[in-house]
Amino acid sequence: MKREKGNVFVIPAIIWIFTFTIFPLVYSFRVSISRISYGKITGFAGLSNYVRMFGDYRFWGTLRFTLIFVSISVVATTFLGLGLALVFNRKMRGLKVFRSLLTMPLFTAPVALGYLGVMMFYEENGPVNVLLKYLGMGKVPWLSHPWWATLAVCMVDVWQWTPFAFIILLAGLQSISDEIYEAAVIDTSSGWTVFRYVTLPLISPVLGTVLMLRLVDAFKIFDVPFSLTSGGPGTATRTLTFYIYTQGLRNFDLGYASAMAYFLLAITMMIGMLFFRRYRELYE
Amino acid sequence: MRKMSLVLSVLVILSLLFSFSLVWAQEGASELEIKTADAAFEAADKGNPDPAWKGQKLTIGVYSAGPRGAISGPLYFWRPYFEKLTGATYDIVEIPFAELREKIFTDLMTGTGTYDIIVGPSWFYGDYISNDWIVPSDKYLNDPRMPKWEPASILPPLQELYSWGGKWVGFNNDHDGQVLYYRRDILNDPKWQEEFKKETGKDMPVPPKTWDEVYEITKFFHGKDWNGDGEPDYGITMHLKVAGQGFFHFMALSAPYVVAPAPGDDPNKVTRYHNVYWFDPETMEPLVNTPGFVEALNMLLKLSKTGPSAMWGWSLGEAWDAFLRGKAVICFSWGDVGSLSQLPDQSSIKGKLGVAPIPGSEKYYDLETKQWVEKRNFVANTVGASWHGVISKFSKNQDLAAYFLSWQATPPINHWNVVWGWTGVDPGTLYDLLQPTGKSTIEEYVATGYEAEDAKQFVNAYEEMWYKYPLKQSYLRIPGTPEMWEIWDIHLSEAVTGQVTPEEALNRTAEDWNAIIDRLGREQLKKIYQEAIGYKPE
Repeated sequence: MKREKGNVFVIPAIIWIFTFTIFPLVYSFRVSISRISYGKITGFAGLSNYVRMFGDYRFWGTLRFTLIFVSISVVATTFLGLGLALVFNRKMRGLKVFRSLLTMPLFTAPVALGYLGVMMFYEENGPVNVLLKYLGMGKVPWLSHPWWATLAVCMVDVWQWTPFAFIILLAGLQSISDEIYEAAVIDTSSGWTVFRYVTLPLISPVLGTVLMLRLVDAFKIFDVPFSLTSGGPGTATRTLTFYIYTQGLRNFDLGYASAMAYFLLAITMMIGMLFFRRYRELYE
Repeated sequence: MRKMSLVLSVLVILSLLFSFSLVWAQEGASELEIKTADAAFEAADKGNPDPAWKGQKLTIGVYSAGPRGAISGPLYFWRPYFEKLTGATYDIVEIPFAELREKIFTDLMTGTGTYDIIVGPSWFYGDYISNDWIVPSDKYLNDPRMPKWEPASILPPLQELYSWGGKWVGFNNDHDGQVLYYRRDILNDPKWQEEFKKETGKDMPVPPKTWDEVYEITKFFHGKDWNGDGEPDYGITMHLKVAGQGFFHFMALSAPYVVAPAPGDDPNKVTRYHNVYWFDPETMEPLVNTPGFVEALNMLLKLSKTGPSAMWGWSLGEAWDAFLRGKAVICFSWGDVGSLSQLPDQSSIKGKLGVAPIPGSEKYYDLETKQWVEKRNFVANTVGASWHGVISKFSKNQDLAAYFLSWQATPPINHWNVVWGWTGVDPGTLYDLLQPTGKSTIEEYVATGYEAEDAKQFVNAYEEMWYKYPLKQSYLRIPGTPEMWEIWDIHLSEAVTGQVTPEEALNRTAEDWNAIIDRLGREQLKKIYQEAIGYKPE
């Protein structure tokens, strides 16, 4: 009887899950197999929206850019975050101040960072090009050349998310007890060997968490290319989310947008599943 | 009790902030602006405002540029006057250019009625009309409560943008078309003319009449320090960033290569092959990848190489700025450049402005014979938004909305908006043009800070283009237009940044347009398109 009463408290959670997870999921799937005109479902489209996706060169173009962006951004944020965490995982003066300053970009809205990037990467005497000129380098077409624009988008994202990797990895490093290092130092004097065979295995679950969260988040990137490059030049920096947004909310082609959104969901779910399979023992 | 006082305090602070924002909007204005605005307010017809409007509130959705920016700025400026007139007020909801369609169409599609008035672009008309989303202004033209404005004063090519099927739909405000701006002092300088002749073996064509002549000039000046600041300067400046409205450049530039005059007595007659720009009116097959467009895109690419490479990432503001601060010898754009060039805080070229109607081409492609015709061709354009107000069918204050828009459309208020550059409201009525064609005088412009010769060049260039050019480019107002233009914009950017060839960019555009046409219904769009351009199948 007591247990039955306790079950009542699960009801709000069930309502929440149905309202905000199950219903949108089911409804958006229905939309993805429907014909839509000005926001209203007008008929059954079957799998035509999914078929269309695979024959759409723009879809493949945005997917290609998304994969490039994810690769550069995730690798760079993780390496930089780890590097910074290793640097700051020692006793030094002013550590707290540095840590606070380092984490500031993390608390800034991505869209604001994008607009800030427009000013920073402004080709005609913007601060970045002025600095490069001061260093004796040429003017870089940050926002008007496809490859440089790709790099600019990645740089803004890395700028924002490196502090995230830094905080998590620093916490991981600080959880390793000093005794382990003291024992390791008896066996070797090489810092690299200690890092390779002691530090890295011990922070591996934390590193995995950082990688998974960054991967999932990077696949959903929208704000930075939206505000920094508007997806251009051409479609050079148009991400899959940007394309979904354009098709769904600007062109009101909601069926097609939903089909692509399902594709994106499948990718991110696969990453999540791989992660949970790899680190299952930690969560059970 | 404490909660209540906290809520009250917050409300008081918010209302104070709101009041200050009104003052700030007015405070940005100069004494001359206030003085001339007061005079315009007095001179404008005020109709007979309904006392029942007192205390009511409208919501206006408008392109976002801030309290002193283009199109949204005048709404802030005139709000206290409107409150004084009617006792009613309005909220201004600024919407970024890239989000206009989703915000406005979603509101109309769902019938929410957030916006009583939409100050939007003319390319929304296809969707407005086919979905029956707006209340025509025609209904209010003879309403005694409404201030009298002059639809007939709007110049003929622009009248088409404000009406549908012979009825007035929108309320007069902005008038867009692109003309050519150049540095009068530099192009007329004998030293530079001599240099030009030495380098090219030709006399410098001032003003340039065709795109080939424009190219010769921009190529000559690009990279030379012609303004004496110790740094190399540019030949041309354009805004070519995706979502930066750069595709309008191509629209204006390509028209003379594409629009062919009809044979016979009436060169303006619309046939399947003549005076058409967008589609084959018989099949709705896009013309965008026909040879005329390809030739024009190659010209755009050539021109873009005579300006800073940074402009491939520039929107309107940056491109105008380069010309206004004297870094580029030529630009082609809307009327904003003409009026902004007279503002000392934004321009260093006051007194040096040359303006000519949009250039023509040395040849055009005949769609019927499928051959090039080696003859100069001049085509007037109305490219751009011609931002103006329409009333949402879902508004609960339609009459008050009509009053506000009618009052803003009256000649004194509209002309005031035109002469002040920051408003983004461009000339296009008889009372903006100079006498004898128009009703305005050069003194009127000089009184608001214009240099006389600059104003004369500026206004006369528009008069020549809209009154004397033999042909005009049609405007696209079919459902799906915003999507088609966005796609075009993207593919043009791909071409100018070298990601694909011009042919490929235009083929991709045609392919994507065909997909949209098929999705929305080819037959239905064909019918609307034929009506819009005045094509009658034989």
